[in-house]
Amino acid sequence: MFTDLGTDSVRLSIPARSEYIHVLRSVTAAVAGRLPLSLDDVDDLRLAVDEACARLLALPGEPATFRLDLRSLPDRLEVVAAVDTPTQTWPPIGFEDTLSWRVLSALAESVRFELWNGAPAIRIVKRTISRNGR
Amino acid sequence: MTARARVDLQELDERELFGMLPKDTAAREELTRRFLPLAEYLARRFSGRGESQDDLFQVASLGLLNAIDRFDLSRDVQFSTYAAVTIVGELKRHFRDKGWAVRVPRRLQEIGLRINAVLPELSQQLGRSPTIDEIAARCDANAEEILEAMEASHAYATSSLDAPAGEDGAAPIEVLGSDDPSMELLEEWASVAPAVRDLPQRERTVLYLRFFRGLTQSEIAREVGVSQMHVSRILSQTLRELREAVNPGAPVAEPELLEEID
Repeated sequence: MFTDLGTDSVRLSIPARSEYIHVLRSVTAAVAGRLPLSLDDVDDLRLAVDEACARLLALPGEPATFRLDLRSLPDRLEVVAAVDTPTQTWPPIGFEDTLSWRVLSALAESVRFELWNGAPAIRIVKRTISRNGR
Repeated sequence: MTARARVDLQELDERELFGMLPKDTAAREELTRRFLPLAEYLARRFSGRGESQDDLFQVASLGLLNAIDRFDLSRDVQFSTYAAVTIVGELKRHFRDKGWAVRVPRRLQEIGLRINAVLPELSQQLGRSPTIDEIAARCDANAEEILEAMEASHAYATSSLDAPAGEDGAAPIEVLGSDDPSMELLEEWASVAPAVRDLPQRERTVLYLRFFRGLTQSEIAREVGVSQMHVSRILSQTLRELREAVNPGAPVAEPELLEEID
């Protein structure tokens, strides 16, 4: 019934502009929809990608490219949203007190601010439903 | 216009005022003033469709001005009736020009309605929110269509933040327990993002339940008495608005466009 993606990964690279965020949102939903994730989870991921991208776009240094990496693992989906511009302060000081953080951490099992090739990235992890219920 | 002239005009009835048109701009202003509440009322009836109340009011006001200019006294119709028709026409045209509502393919609208219809029962049977595949099976559609319909519902009917709270039977936030410690957290959060305080009650309630009480979208839908898709729309729209308020210069994600599914 579910397409077994194994440990497939889907990678996307698009211009870092707000008008392209919906592409990342749609791709995320399309990939998540193929996995044993609930409707709520799929919607949460959509919101989380929206938020993560908005957060990354607001960084100084005018990033040129957005990268999105969706990796399906046996028990979870990992989504990494990243930009290509290295930044001095990442994660930003006091990020735990921001709207962004509050929202992101409520939308996924785990959220981490990371560096990807020296550039800011946000990793979002959503656990899939086990075959025997929740 | 002098204060005296204004008082005099206020004593005239509609027919007399219309008789002074088109020459007398003061009479035109007086008519506008009298019927602006009608424009406002009609604009409010179009809220909840993704347009700000200010924009709708502006469109409705324009409709009113057109109605005043075109009204023909010799016709046997009340101006208020004529104005209402003109204003509603203007509001409808506004939505049509925006390409909303009409551009979502009927097929997707129907699937959207079916999703809303089967979700509560399906969730109850499973004891959790169903997967896309499970919804697809129940709706007699495929997973892609379900995802498209979900997306389309975001694009054309984003709930207005100015929609009167409680319009969908939203539970007042007080009912949820004001001595709840997470309520204090929301207050605290409001100091970081003051716009939270300005949110209409329903939006605040949904935000609070999702991000401070950790309820799922389906649970919120049950609690507040709206569909899951509506909760989803409220969340994405509210977050977008808050983002803008927190960081006015920040780029804001565009609402989903429909081009790719048409």
